[in-house]
Amino acid sequence: MKLNRREALALMGGTLAATTLGTPAFSKNRKITVGALRFTSHSASFIALERGYFQEMGLDVELKFFQAATPMAVAIASGDVDFGVTAISGGLISLADKGAIKVIGGVLSEEQGIDGQKILVSDAAFKAGVTSPDKLDGKTFGMTTAGSSFHYMGSQIAAKEGVGLKFKPLQKVGAIIGALKTGQIDAWSIVPHIAKPLAGSGAVHIIGDVSHYLPNYQVTTAFTSAKNAAEEPEMTRNFIAAYSKGIADYNAAMVDGTLGDAGRAEMVDLIHQYVYAGKPREKAAKSIINGSMRLNPGVAMNVGSIEKQLNWFKSEKLVNGTIGLDQLIDTNYVKTL
Amino acid sequence: MPENSISEKSKSGHSIRASGSCLASKQQPVPFRGGGFVPVSRPWMGFVVFFVLIVFLEAGTRIGFISALTIPKPSDVLNTFVELYSSGLLWTHLVPSLMRFVIGAAIGTLLGVSLGIAIGLFAYVRAGLVPLIAALFPVPKIALLPLFVIWFGIDEASKYALIAFGTFTPMVVATYGAVDNVDRGLIRMGQSFNLSWFSIVRKIVLPGAMAGILSGLRIALAIAIILLVAAEMLGAEYGIGAYILQAGSLYDLERLFTGVAILSILGVLVNSAIGLVEKHVLRWRG
Repeated sequence: MKLNRREALALMGGTLAATTLGTPAFSKNRKITVGALRFTSHSASFIALERGYFQEMGLDVELKFFQAATPMAVAIASGDVDFGVTAISGGLISLADKGAIKVIGGVLSEEQGIDGQKILVSDAAFKAGVTSPDKLDGKTFGMTTAGSSFHYMGSQIAAKEGVGLKFKPLQKVGAIIGALKTGQIDAWSIVPHIAKPLAGSGAVHIIGDVSHYLPNYQVTTAFTSAKNAAEEPEMTRNFIAAYSKGIADYNAAMVDGTLGDAGRAEMVDLIHQYVYAGKPREKAAKSIINGSMRLNPGVAMNVGSIEKQLNWFKSEKLVNGTIGLDQLIDTNYVKTL
Repeated sequence: MPENSISEKSKSGHSIRASGSCLASKQQPVPFRGGGFVPVSRPWMGFVVFFVLIVFLEAGTRIGFISALTIPKPSDVLNTFVELYSSGLLWTHLVPSLMRFVIGAAIGTLLGVSLGIAIGLFAYVRAGLVPLIAALFPVPKIALLPLFVIWFGIDEASKYALIAFGTFTPMVVATYGAVDNVDRGLIRMGQSFNLSWFSIVRKIVLPGAMAGILSGLRIALAIAIILLVAAEMLGAEYGIGAYILQAGSLYDLERLFTGVAILSILGVLVNSAIGLVEKHVLRWRG
């Protein structure tokens, strides 16, 4: 078939019209990048991607994996990543202070009655009599960096028990685990899917729950660049909607167990592609199920907990003392708790 | 025309001969073509470059064409430094770092120089250890940090070990290279004057190798400063490296740049200290 120029132009116009008219306003198939860590608390990202919830909302999502919270925040500030989910760190608050980032929702929460983050001590410390958090006085506590969530948890536990802790920055979770196993540091706190296998090996002991000290602690939050939050409300809303569906699936299958064993097994298979992918299914399944903590339905944000964390960072002089809560969060997108 | 040009040529030839004959009367000034290609001291130029750069950054961040995310205001960095100094935290951070630097580098360079001299003097030591040193040199010392923590503990010893190891290998290589480059003629002269082996080493080999050893020391100490940050990655509460890492993880650019500036100043000081030592030790070169 031969086309003359007019026909070719008409065809091109027609194709364009068909693609724009045939789809609703929101599904422009926008390419976006979502930052994630290989933790079970990020499962909602994996579910929304694997089950096509992002696609339904017209978002063509690519996951980018990070080792720690702050690099992800920096990547969002630089525009390399559009949405991220991690703990509130000093780095994140500093970037919000500079007008680069907004927290738009809450994800992982401590909830009384559900197994949450654990307080761990090394075998040596345990044998020396540190069998409960009130005996931690003068002990060393591991953290990745100053201003990380570990730093926050440790100092909150210390404040509540009236004990003094020495914080040791070790940069990476792997390094902390090594130091704890060999007794170089005395204590640490971490999500259950890491804490339980460690305690099972006998090298460390669980001596308490974080939720006892920080009830309703908003552990991780969803955040995006200030530009996306202000100028791309539609894309941000679509992301939240898709993410909420992922969260609902996760809570139903893993936390509330309403889908039964089959639903749980199916979910474990899905998560296993991203978390503990190097381990065989049976071994990984145990850790993945162990690590089930509630994710906030509808990405709801616990503003009270975030404010508490912000105030702690300010009082420790880890961030600029003048930053206000409204500079850190944008409550236009989700329900607040 | 050709005729004319020939006559011109002969004329000029004649004139040359003529000028040769009456050299004293018709002397042509020859401009001096030497000079240049020599490092001349212009100490203020370095300050001008720094000054222009800092003024540019200050203006850029104040006017706003450089965003606060990319570079902090130089004046804020200065303020942070003044705050650090007046709060006394500067010494809290600087003293442990200097301790680690001095002890680590002292262990590393002393061992390195001794082993380097041994390699330079004894064929069996050379044959046995040069391949080992070559194997150790490219190992990224930072990668070994977790291992050092297990070997030496999380406190000071692992930090000394890291810095010592990092300065050791460049020092060995620089030293045996310097010993190899000692003027053979001088050594033969010593031998023909019937100096003892020990005397030759002490009076000819060591002074002759000193220039090379000291330039190796410059590199080794710069590496030690670099490794200071790496050493303080694990378990250091105080120290310039810990301060920089903390600023990085808090995305606090003012503190980050303050820490980096302190390391730079440390580098300049160490370099000029070695310059002084060079002047003293290498007096014999005249």
